[in-house]
Amino acid sequence: MIRQRRRGLGDRDRLGPFGRFYLTVVVGMVLGPFVPLVIGSFAFRWTWPDLLPSRWWWEARATARLPQGWDYVFSPISRVVESTGNTILIAILVTLLCAAISLPAARVLAKERFRGKSFVEFFLLTPLIVPEIAVGLGILVTFIQLGLAGTYWGIILVHLIPTIPYMVRVLTSVFQGLSDDYEEQARVLGASPLRTLWHVTLPMILPGLVAGGLFTFLISSNIFLLTFFIGGGRIETLPTLLFSRVSGGGALDAVAAGVALIVCIPGIVLLVITERFIKEEVFAKGFGG
Amino acid sequence: MHVRRSLLVIALAFATLFGAAQAQPQGTPEAEAFRTSFLAGELSWDQVLERAREEGRVVWAHWGGSETLNTWIDTVVKPELAALGITLETSRLTNTRDVVDLILAETAAGRGVGEGSTDAIWINGENFFTLSSQSLNFGSFADLLPNSQYVHFDPANPASGPNLFDFGFPTNKEEMPWSGDQYMCAIDTARLPRAEAPGTFAELETWLRANPGRFTYVRPPHYNGNTFVQTVLYAHNPDGTTYQPFQLSANELGAEEFLRLATPGYEYLQRIEPFLLGGGGADGRRGSPIYPEDQNGLEALFVNGEIDMACQFGMYNTAVAVETGRFAETAENVIFPTTGMIKNKNFIGVPVNAPNPAAAMVLANLLASPDNQISKLGAIGYVLGIDADLLSPEQQAQIDAVAPSLMGVTYDELGAATVPDTNASLVDVIEGTWVEFIERRTGDLAASVAAALANR
Repeated sequence: MIRQRRRGLGDRDRLGPFGRFYLTVVVGMVLGPFVPLVIGSFAFRWTWPDLLPSRWWWEARATARLPQGWDYVFSPISRVVESTGNTILIAILVTLLCAAISLPAARVLAKERFRGKSFVEFFLLTPLIVPEIAVGLGILVTFIQLGLAGTYWGIILVHLIPTIPYMVRVLTSVFQGLSDDYEEQARVLGASPLRTLWHVTLPMILPGLVAGGLFTFLISSNIFLLTFFIGGGRIETLPTLLFSRVSGGGALDAVAAGVALIVCIPGIVLLVITERFIKEEVFAKGFGG
Repeated sequence: MHVRRSLLVIALAFATLFGAAQAQPQGTPEAEAFRTSFLAGELSWDQVLERAREEGRVVWAHWGGSETLNTWIDTVVKPELAALGITLETSRLTNTRDVVDLILAETAAGRGVGEGSTDAIWINGENFFTLSSQSLNFGSFADLLPNSQYVHFDPANPASGPNLFDFGFPTNKEEMPWSGDQYMCAIDTARLPRAEAPGTFAELETWLRANPGRFTYVRPPHYNGNTFVQTVLYAHNPDGTTYQPFQLSANELGAEEFLRLATPGYEYLQRIEPFLLGGGGADGRRGSPIYPEDQNGLEALFVNGEIDMACQFGMYNTAVAVETGRFAETAENVIFPTTGMIKNKNFIGVPVNAPNPAAAMVLANLLASPDNQISKLGAIGYVLGIDADLLSPEQQAQIDAVAPSLMGVTYDELGAATVPDTNASLVDVIEGTWVEFIERRTGDLAASVAAALANR
């Protein structure tokens, strides 16, 4: 979306009326939902039928006995900081583990031929087909027996389930587009397998690896159901924190609006960072399979 | 949440299947020893404090949907426990059933005394009933706590009722009173003047027919919804004895007698359905009434002007909501229905597999201290769980000083309308019948009651 918008704005003079209309609709649909969120996060009292809050957070701030709005969001009581830390920590570890597991698997799937290969490929995709809720409870019971329920490792393990299929898929297509020649040459010139991996293979697949890592990070930091089951309310991440604020169809109060805005931050930061590293072709390659 | 519950039941069945070889879960001998000697009254409170310090932490699962409550816990309870060498970890629940399910799953997986994950639960009614009926409570600890001196436990004293019975089900002192609660209805006087607000269910029906869509109630099985249905049944009791027969258990009352007592009430609920929010008016076929899932959903409808009156638990909820900006400044309370507004208590329960049982005792005791009870009343507007008549005159004066406003009603009016809760075993039947008869529209009340009894 960001890329599309940027290009659109740059070429504005050349856009026809339909193009401009389409652009406005797309930008409006992406940014529109954020408008009431931002206003709501600064409201103290925002009730029907007022178009804007009748009282703002900063007006009520001095007289309120308890922290309101953003004061509450940023106080330790709201657990926003703690949940953000948990989300990032879990997502980083999941990304690293996922890459370590998926790299060899993707390489074999891309380069080798063996009996049952299509079955293995299908098997690796099953987590995307089977709904999380169907496996989540069985996992919970097993994890309780193993003492993994309510632990970081338990959550990291279940996060690997929906992320590995994506990572393997992205890396398989990267390896498929990669000729063996460079690795062979390195080995002919006397490089050890480890050195070949480090100096030849990794640099060549790096853009694909970063793209896969980005997906893994984003998926992991957005998983609600599995985290909710396995975390059991003892480990809060941003998605579970947001759920507890908005479940049951409650009014979007200032705190819920604030938390919802915070939840978007890791993804946006990551997108901005990675956009500098990743060329569009990598995404295309990753999806093209 | 409902999906999750039914799936958890399936998971439990699996766990029981595979765990069958383990039979009754065995706990750690050390935790068993503490449990036995504490419940036998062999330990001094200092010994309990000492062991609690060794345990070092306590995990308290509570409904966490209120910022004021979360703030109070973190700023008042946490430091007090820290001073005793105990770290408080709270698990903020959206629904207390979740932690009850977790404890069921843990014990099914063979986690016995001392091997669970949760030490204390803010609990009452059906959830306590569930744990009790599976013998998953730690034991009769409440009167062994020092602060039980502020709670009536003498069965001969009628004031002990709310402490010895939770939704008509004996507490057996397996949970410590921590808060009182009162069903209360809020109106927005900007849209519904006090003079026009209904006071009885008959007036509600008349008003709804003139103003269709301006009212709804929380969907059972949420306790706020069950309570609304209970008050309807009380008011329509054909014998005129309102709440009295509903104090009996489902088995004592019997299906036929329940059907006879409840028929006018359910017929009333069916009659007003077309006039509830989204009900479609007199020609109800065009609409389908909207029942919010919980108190947050109900408040959203009220705040957004979709309904003019909202009934839920919380004696001082309106006062606190106006102060924190949740409700409009024109919101007030009304006495509705005058035929009976349910009042009860809620408790701190301790599950049998609490990993830090001594610290759980310390927490339950600390929450029941007069200072904390009064501070909780002032900060959150939660009614005292301990009995005010056992406090000193100074403490009683403090209560009067910190209690939030009743927002337009008086304690006398409220006291005259107050009635006790329904028996916990009947609550299941009442909500089950509502689901069959009102939600699924089976059209046959007798069959709905039979189905509710069978599904119990």
